Amino acid sequence: MPPTSDLLQGTLDLLILKTLASGPMHGWGVAQRIQQVSRDALQIGQGSLYPALHRLEYRGWIQAEWGASENNRRAKFYSLTNIGRKQLKTELGDWERLTEAIALVLKPAQEG
Amino acid sequence: MLKRFLTHLRFLVARRAHDEVDEELRFHLDQQIGANIAAGMSPNEARRQALISFGGVGKSREGCREARPGFWMEILAQDVRYGIRGFQRNPIFTLTIVVTLMLGIGATAAVFSVVDRILFRALPYAQGDRLVSVGLVQSMETQEFMLGGFYYDWRRNQQPFESMTSEGAVTRECDLTEGSPAQLSCPTVEVNFLPTLGVSPVAGRNFLPEEGRPGGPRVALISYGLWRTHYNRDPGALNKTIEIDGKPVRVIGVLPKEFEMPRLQAADVVFPMTMDEAADRKSNSGIGGPKRVFARLKPGVSVEQAYAQLGPLFEQTQKWIPAEIRSNFRLKVRSLRDRQMQDVRLTAWVLLGTALAVLLIACANVASLLMARGAARHRELAVRSALGASRGRLVRQALTEAALLSFAGAVTGCAFAEGLLHVFLAMAPASVPYIGRVQLDLRIVCFTIALSFLCGGLFGLVPALQRPREEMLTGRTLVSISHAAVRQWLVVAQIAASVILLTGAALLLRSFWSLENQQLGMREDNTVTASVMLGERTYSSAASKMAFFQQLATRLRFGPGVEVVSVSDSLPPADGHGGVRYNEILVSGRPHITEGAGTVVRNRLVSPEYFRALDIPIVRGASFREEDLNSNERLAILSQRLAEMLFPAQNPIGQRLNFEHVSFPESAWYTVVGVAANVKNGGLTGEQTPEYYVLRRNRADDWGGRGVWGQTATFVVRSSLTQEETAKWIRSQVAALDPTLPVDVATLRQRVSKLADQPRFQATLVAFFAMVGLVLAVIGLYGVIAFLVAQRTQEIGVRMALGAARTDILRLVMRRSLRLIVAGLAVGLVAALAASRVLSSLLFGVGPRDPVTYGAVTMVLMVVAVAATLVPARSASKVDPAVALRSE
Repeated sequence: MPPTSDLLQGTLDLLILKTLASGPMHGWGVAQRIQQVSRDALQIGQGSLYPALHRLEYRGWIQAEWGASENNRRAKFYSLTNIGRKQLKTELGDWERLTEAIALVLKPAQEG
Repeated sequence: MLKRFLTHLRFLVARRAHDEVDEELRFHLDQQIGANIAAGMSPNEARRQALISFGGVGKSREGCREARPGFWMEILAQDVRYGIRGFQRNPIFTLTIVVTLMLGIGATAAVFSVVDRILFRALPYAQGDRLVSVGLVQSMETQEFMLGGFYYDWRRNQQPFESMTSEGAVTRECDLTEGSPAQLSCPTVEVNFLPTLGVSPVAGRNFLPEEGRPGGPRVALISYGLWRTHYNRDPGALNKTIEIDGKPVRVIGVLPKEFEMPRLQAADVVFPMTMDEAADRKSNSGIGGPKRVFARLKPGVSVEQAYAQLGPLFEQTQKWIPAEIRSNFRLKVRSLRDRQMQDVRLTAWVLLGTALAVLLIACANVASLLMARGAARHRELAVRSALGASRGRLVRQALTEAALLSFAGAVTGCAFAEGLLHVFLAMAPASVPYIGRVQLDLRIVCFTIALSFLCGGLFGLVPALQRPREEMLTGRTLVSISHAAVRQWLVVAQIAASVILLTGAALLLRSFWSLENQQLGMREDNTVTASVMLGERTYSSAASKMAFFQQLATRLRFGPGVEVVSVSDSLPPADGHGGVRYNEILVSGRPHITEGAGTVVRNRLVSPEYFRALDIPIVRGASFREEDLNSNERLAILSQRLAEMLFPAQNPIGQRLNFEHVSFPESAWYTVVGVAANVKNGGLTGEQTPEYYVLRRNRADDWGGRGVWGQTATFVVRSSLTQEETAKWIRSQVAALDPTLPVDVATLRQRVSKLADQPRFQATLVAFFAMVGLVLAVIGLYGVIAFLVAQRTQEIGVRMALGAARTDILRLVMRRSLRLIVAGLAVGLVAALAASRVLSSLLFGVGPRDPVTYGAVTMVLMVVAVAATLVPARSASKVDPAVALRSE
């Protein structure tokens, strides 16, 4: 079994938004990119990837378009909308605050 | 926000085709396969690995579907479809629940709409709970009143009130004599009346202090209704001078739409009361004009405290009352609501209690039925859960079904309530306030729907919440046994509640029956009465009234088939308009009577034919004669009761009596000429009151005075024609004399029956609800027993296979149901004994613990309940053991 790490609630959305920030991508691409960038630490289960993509689309944060893939097949490409970009910014901010706070809590324990 | 909503809408409208999702997923898979092959796997292996790492296409597809906005609506629609299919499969079950809910919701909503204003809703005054009615009461006037002789002292010296105000005791009729003329109701109030009640005019202003002083300007406030009907809501009506009773009056304001007088009488034009203290104290033979007094309590002062603080003022006033009757006067302070609602409150509570009991029985039925269904569906639930339905989904399903049933029940219930309200309106006595304006109350409809949903949802949920166990799949329903216990308790409660309802209904019906069938002491058949009220403006002198009434009597007497016509100021069994206290009667040649200040003696002013017309026997002496009409002597006839009280061992004939010497020392003496048999005269439920009859001679002073009552005379006509023809004849004769006069024609029987309106209303409604309750309880009992039998079919089969006879099985089932019935009966009878005490003041001629009633109720319930259980019991005894054993 590949190493899995339970994603924090809501983190998947953030990862998808961040990944799409670099340009339109289809579902498989998003999964591959996250896996590569995290050096195989994060493997997105497809069972949760597509529902998440659809959920974000329904919220209006990303939009989908049918286009041709690298191997010239019909594929659905997702890209960030303006709202999505704003959402990504606030979520990134939230995430940083959260990790900082957690780091602050954990640091003294490491020192002690 | 809007954009988000639009996106939602877009996806709702353009439902994404499933194959689009499939195509996307397939693309993903193919990509993965391609990557795997590139990594060196064989095509087959690449495909296998790709599928493994993807992890369930179906799950992804479902997940995408669920992510869609509005997915919950799909689920809901699915649940609704599923629920309705389930109901269709079981129409009797569905119908029973819906009808049960309909009866419960309908009864409660209708009754609550009627009693809401009586019991709960705030009065239309600012902080109406601080308003009280205050005054004296005595045995002849049981509603608080004050007199000009002491009112001013009270108003000046009182402690507990923020302000005190009054209205004239009599609300006059007055005529609008301009534009389209109309007869109006015109109360007179003190200038601080509206501020004390906390009411301000919607247009214009309130009275100014100078408008209540003698010689002040003639102004008036008009009602919203009058403003609308006569002035078309024109603001120009303000400051306009209108003509009332031929005199100019300036309109200074318009009362709010929802305004009502504290005594609930009509008010079209409100005049300021002229407060001339010196003149008022001298008026009305020196006791001052009568007033109805209302006051606003200071914050934090209770009615009891106010009563205590008024004690010294009351003592002072007592010294002013003639010593003979002093002890008869009491101080009374009560909340305005109590003053308005009088004894209707108890009726209202009884009705509300009855309706709530029906609602509870209905809810118990719904709960019981749903539990039975739940027990029968354990297997289905187990199957669904085994197929992957989540607990949440099962709960949602149960709630959806409960909501569906509640909705159906609510819709039919509202229709039923609307119908019931019409029946209420048709039969409610006039003494129920606001009955004419009652409509279905939306709040209570919502409340009852919520309640039914609650009881439906609660008991529908129980089976869904239980963790479905594997053994459920086998269909051996052990869990339902515990439900059966709850249901049995519900049935016991239902039976107990219907015992209480039935007892109340039976008591009220018996009371009504004895009311209707009591001996009134007069003949009612073939007798038509007509009440004529003369306008004060046209017939202002006593002579003109006498002339009119005598003329009408003469005309009537010569009508076709007329046997006898009498004229009197009032008719039994209603109490007369006038009366004295027993100790006010002075017998010539005897000292004052000292006892009996609280006993009222009624009087009636009659014509000589009165006793013949009503067939009241003269037991001693003689009736009034035709020639007595021109006599100089004043004559009286005593009722047997009064004669026995005044002259226990003497002959009353020829005695001379003075009835009013306390209030009027110069009043005239009367000679007793006869004694008449007792006639019911204190209302239908009241006690026999002593009474005397005075002959109205052909003299104007016998017809004058007595305010509004002097304007009214009641004719009794006995004729050989039918009552309709007589009624028509009377109307035509009144119209021939004065076509503008209102005349109230009714047979004597109708008049008597009208007095029984309230008991009839109570008895009919409670009886109706008791029947509904009984039917529901019986349905509940039947349901439980039938269910138990169905559950034990197998066991019964085994017993029969082992040699049990049919009678044994019958006994087995019957023993079970008898236990329930007897338990319910016992609880119910005990509760009914306690509850019926509330009814005792509504009962007439029957005690709240009447053994016959209780016996009859027990019998009826026994018979009906046993009959209801016989059906399933018999079907149990017909079980074919071979079939029953093989049924699994």
